[in-house]
Amino acid sequence: MAERAHLTPVPGPEPEPATDAGTLLTAVARGDEKAFAKLYDLVAPRVYGLIRRVLRDPAQAEEVAQEVLVEVWRTAARFDPSRGSPTAWVFTIAHRRAVDRVRAEQASADRTMRAGVASVDLPYDAVADEVAVRLERQQVRHCLDDLTGLQRQAVTLAYYQGHTYPQVSELLNVPLATVKTRMRDGLIRLRDCMATGAAA
Amino acid sequence: MSADVHSLIGAYALDALDDIERAAFDRHMRECEACRLEAAELRDAAARLADPAWSAPPPRLRENVLAEISKTRQVGPVPVAAPPGRARARSLRLVGAAAVILAVAAATTAVFVQEQRVRDAEAVAEAARASEARVRSVLSAPDVQVREQSLTSGGRVTVASSRLQNAGVIMLAADSPPASDRVYQLWTIRGTTPSSAGALGVGQSASVQLVEGLPGASAVGVTVEQAPAAQVPTTPLDALVELA
Repeated sequence: MAERAHLTPVPGPEPEPATDAGTLLTAVARGDEKAFAKLYDLVAPRVYGLIRRVLRDPAQAEEVAQEVLVEVWRTAARFDPSRGSPTAWVFTIAHRRAVDRVRAEQASADRTMRAGVASVDLPYDAVADEVAVRLERQQVRHCLDDLTGLQRQAVTLAYYQGHTYPQVSELLNVPLATVKTRMRDGLIRLRDCMATGAAA
Repeated sequence: MSADVHSLIGAYALDALDDIERAAFDRHMRECEACRLEAAELRDAAARLADPAWSAPPPRLRENVLAEISKTRQVGPVPVAAPPGRARARSLRLVGAAAVILAVAAATTAVFVQEQRVRDAEAVAEAARASEARVRSVLSAPDVQVREQSLTSGGRVTVASSRLQNAGVIMLAADSPPASDRVYQLWTIRGTTPSSAGALGVGQSASVQLVEGLPGASAVGVTVEQAPAAQVPTTPLDALVELA
């Protein structure tokens, strides 16, 4: 609980108008560091949380989150609105980077060379739980619950565990074509559920 | 074929494809406006899965990131080099990297390889074989896979690898050379064993390195070492590009 005093004043995952993150990102692309600080507060808890969820290790998550957020700064001018929303762009970079790291770990090529990473021992879970109960989180969870079991497993095994679809196919013991289909129709159902605000 | 590729759209939005399929899907999207729209929508839906993962980052992350960006140069918008009508079909990172490495490597390989020859005695044997034609044959191989990572110290390392050619090309483009007594060094990693794939010279920040047998390696690493080069990596990785 004392941890709350150390928290930066980040907004929770309340619905943010896309234009808000978009406006910030446009300013960031022009080198506006203050706008970047605001964008940081908006997205960093989800960037960090997502990476931590995928990687599990808080120290690595912090390292990768820093890379991702600096990458957002560096490449803000490359954001292309025709490819999705500004926050989706950020989380896509974060997810891609986390998944790349997972697959590198799976190849376990770098274990011996990664000795220098400092370990972190802070009660993130306690802090995170404090702020966890938010509308959007509930909505996404509700919408996940709304999927069929196979859709939900296919989507979450890929997204939160960083598995490829052939790995998911093996884990769930269902054909590849089925996994591909369930990933697609699962995401479509998620999209529709969140668009209607069915959870609210 | 196209229907086959298109069935990957959900896995694509979830980053559940390997690099070959991802590149294939990116190519598919360049030809298909409707697919780009659907992919963008599915990506937006997938990105919402970050919401329940919300977790307060350690406060120092904010300080570190803000300190880091104040000394990080931003890249400009993507140059509009595509032919008319294709401008929106901008590639994703991977294909972009492929285009960049092909263009840059074609123009500069000979120069870098020459520079490498002069500066790095250890790489002479490698570089002698690294003819421009050989580099081109890897880059234009039908099965070439291109992967890219940022250097922690600023810049990028790009690895193009072809099983058909059983060779790869590592292109390092650091933002600046390391301190005066230090050099960038490249490593190929098999299992957990790193072996040197050559070091750059003092003051050198860019290099194209041909590595025979690269597809047998599981990863490529970059470190900053004491000049002239190290036998084994002695510093934390500046970048790791996983190949498997």
